[in-house]
Amino acid sequence: MTTAPLLEIDGLHVAFGTRERPLVAVDDVSLAVMPGEIVGIVGESGSGKSVTALALMGLVDFPGRVSARRMTFAGHDLRDLSATRRRALVGKDLAMIFQDPLASLDPCYTVAHQLMETLAVHGTPEERSSRAIRRARALALLEQVEIPDAAARLDAYPHQLSGGMAQRVMIAIAIACRPRLLIADEPTTALDVTVQAQVLDLLVRLRRERGMALVLITHDLAVVAETAQRVVVMYAGEPVETGPVPAIFDAPAHPYTQALLAALPENNEDHARLRAIPGVVPGLHARPVGCRLAPRCAYAVPRCRVEAPALAGPPERAVRCHFPLDATGAPTGSWQAERVGAADEAKAP
Amino acid sequence: MTTAAPLLEARDLARHYVVSRGLFRPKGLVRALDGVSFTLHAGRTLAVVGESGCGKSTLARQVTMIEAPSGGTLWLDGQDVAGADALRRRRLRTRVQMVFQNPYASLNPRKTVGALLEEPLAIQGAAPAARREAGLAMLARVGLRLEHYRRYPHMFSGGQRQRIAVARALMLHPALVVADEPVSALDVSIQAQVLNLLMDLQQSLGIAYLFISHNLQVVRHIADDVLVMYLGHVVEHGPKPQVFARPAHPYTRALLASTPALRPAQRRVRIPLTGELPSPLDPPSGCAFHGRCPHAIARCTIEVPELAPLGGVAVACHRAAELND
Repeated sequence: MTTAPLLEIDGLHVAFGTRERPLVAVDDVSLAVMPGEIVGIVGESGSGKSVTALALMGLVDFPGRVSARRMTFAGHDLRDLSATRRRALVGKDLAMIFQDPLASLDPCYTVAHQLMETLAVHGTPEERSSRAIRRARALALLEQVEIPDAAARLDAYPHQLSGGMAQRVMIAIAIACRPRLLIADEPTTALDVTVQAQVLDLLVRLRRERGMALVLITHDLAVVAETAQRVVVMYAGEPVETGPVPAIFDAPAHPYTQALLAALPENNEDHARLRAIPGVVPGLHARPVGCRLAPRCAYAVPRCRVEAPALAGPPERAVRCHFPLDATGAPTGSWQAERVGAADEAKAP
Repeated sequence: MTTAAPLLEARDLARHYVVSRGLFRPKGLVRALDGVSFTLHAGRTLAVVGESGCGKSTLARQVTMIEAPSGGTLWLDGQDVAGADALRRRRLRTRVQMVFQNPYASLNPRKTVGALLEEPLAIQGAAPAARREAGLAMLARVGLRLEHYRRYPHMFSGGQRQRIAVARALMLHPALVVADEPVSALDVSIQAQVLNLLMDLQQSLGIAYLFISHNLQVVRHIADDVLVMYLGHVVEHGPKPQVFARPAHPYTRALLASTPALRPAQRRVRIPLTGELPSPLDPPSGCAFHGRCPHAIARCTIEVPELAPLGGVAVACHRAAELND
């Protein structure tokens, strides 16, 4: 691809807590999103996927600290953007939708008011000058996100909407100013499956029609497998693997991705015990010294417990593991030798 | 298995709620549960699936005797629950226990794990020493350690809390556990651990589960029979293999087609369902699903379809026979 990435992050780092004892929520996240591309970020709770998105939007407040080697969006450096310049960008070219639509909408204002507010701030000169034009645009947007009986819904308050309907309104607000990148943080988690399918189809259609890029953050591997073109798998604040769909699901190179896929009911025999991952995701206070997965990893050898692996490989297929898995799902490199060595050492008196 | 008397039998179970719609408007009637019938045998798992508002949780409230049904009958262990006197009902209640969706909300934060586990026994009048012994045994059974006994719920992760909730539900040795979305709030890796625990316990203790879930992948794994509900009605009921391999009701098909799949080969052609669940206050005439059904005909808008057998399952659809040729 010769075009420049729309969004480029390198070495994003977000920490909370004091400077003496920082609590690192996101560590060394790198991500490039091409115009019109759908990139999925998957991970369990505590993996840092939402904080990554908030940092992109400039929504990490004190005492959170964001740093990055590089963080650009469409030629703007997001790191030292003034508040005014950021406001001009966020909500217009860069928009975000959240998990709980009813918590994101203001309960005191009608749907039309909230849609028109965005247009009044970020809209075209005509939209900013005329209330009637804004209202007409608001109606058109509701129709675009397939809200039935859109004219009647304009003057509804959020509490009068169902969850699916409210998420559509959120999407309408987000796309009102034709953003070039939409960040969707668990957009369908609170919705029923049939409504989830509708909302995902809507997002994919919007991307096709407008060439909008989409960063889809979710814990649901199947949602990513169906929608995204590229995936970043995160674990305990770090990206552990990135790769194209479906290759990353067919032949995962990181033990975590492999174990996550193996734990899904659809990858296990009927009624059989699921291949669960033992233990829990380490919290901010209890991150292991070496590889963060080591205590839960089926392949861990002594080196994994002391030496943290770096993200290695080409950016389109990078893995953070000392012994990336091959196509058959077995660890490579010196794994066999190190495992045997460790076993011998254990046997020695 | 099927020749034995069922553990739980519901016939035409109904639960209606009267709701106020404002000061000057007539009161509305929500038929949250309308004519639901099923049987559940010991050691089996019946999964109830459907979207929010379909009556899954109302069903759980009737089965656990939290509420009395407005109509129909419910037999537990061959005894009519509605006709039971206070004493017998109290005894019946120990036979059914419940595990809730959110382990962050279902455990009392001011009680230690030990106190939480012992509470059901204390209510039933067990001696302190016996309570403690039973509590410690149950803790080990669900994969927690003895030192956890004196800790408080906030010291545990979500998966561990759900283990505690399961342990508490099992303290009275129930024959039936109603699990209302027990793994929906958990991460994938933890979800697998809790599902394994539930399956192990079923195998060793012979418990029956009424497993309520909207996650069809989980249901496909754990269930023996499936009950698909839509707006208070059962639309399809049958053994899991049949329901998943050949869904007979258009709604079941749409549900399965909407479920995202990991591999392209597993994906089904999306059935575009327009709109959302209609308001239960103002349900559609005829078949409740006709407004969203791609196969609806004039008859569907007038006549309510009855649950009728079709190729191993029971389906409530006027066009089921012709659609499943």
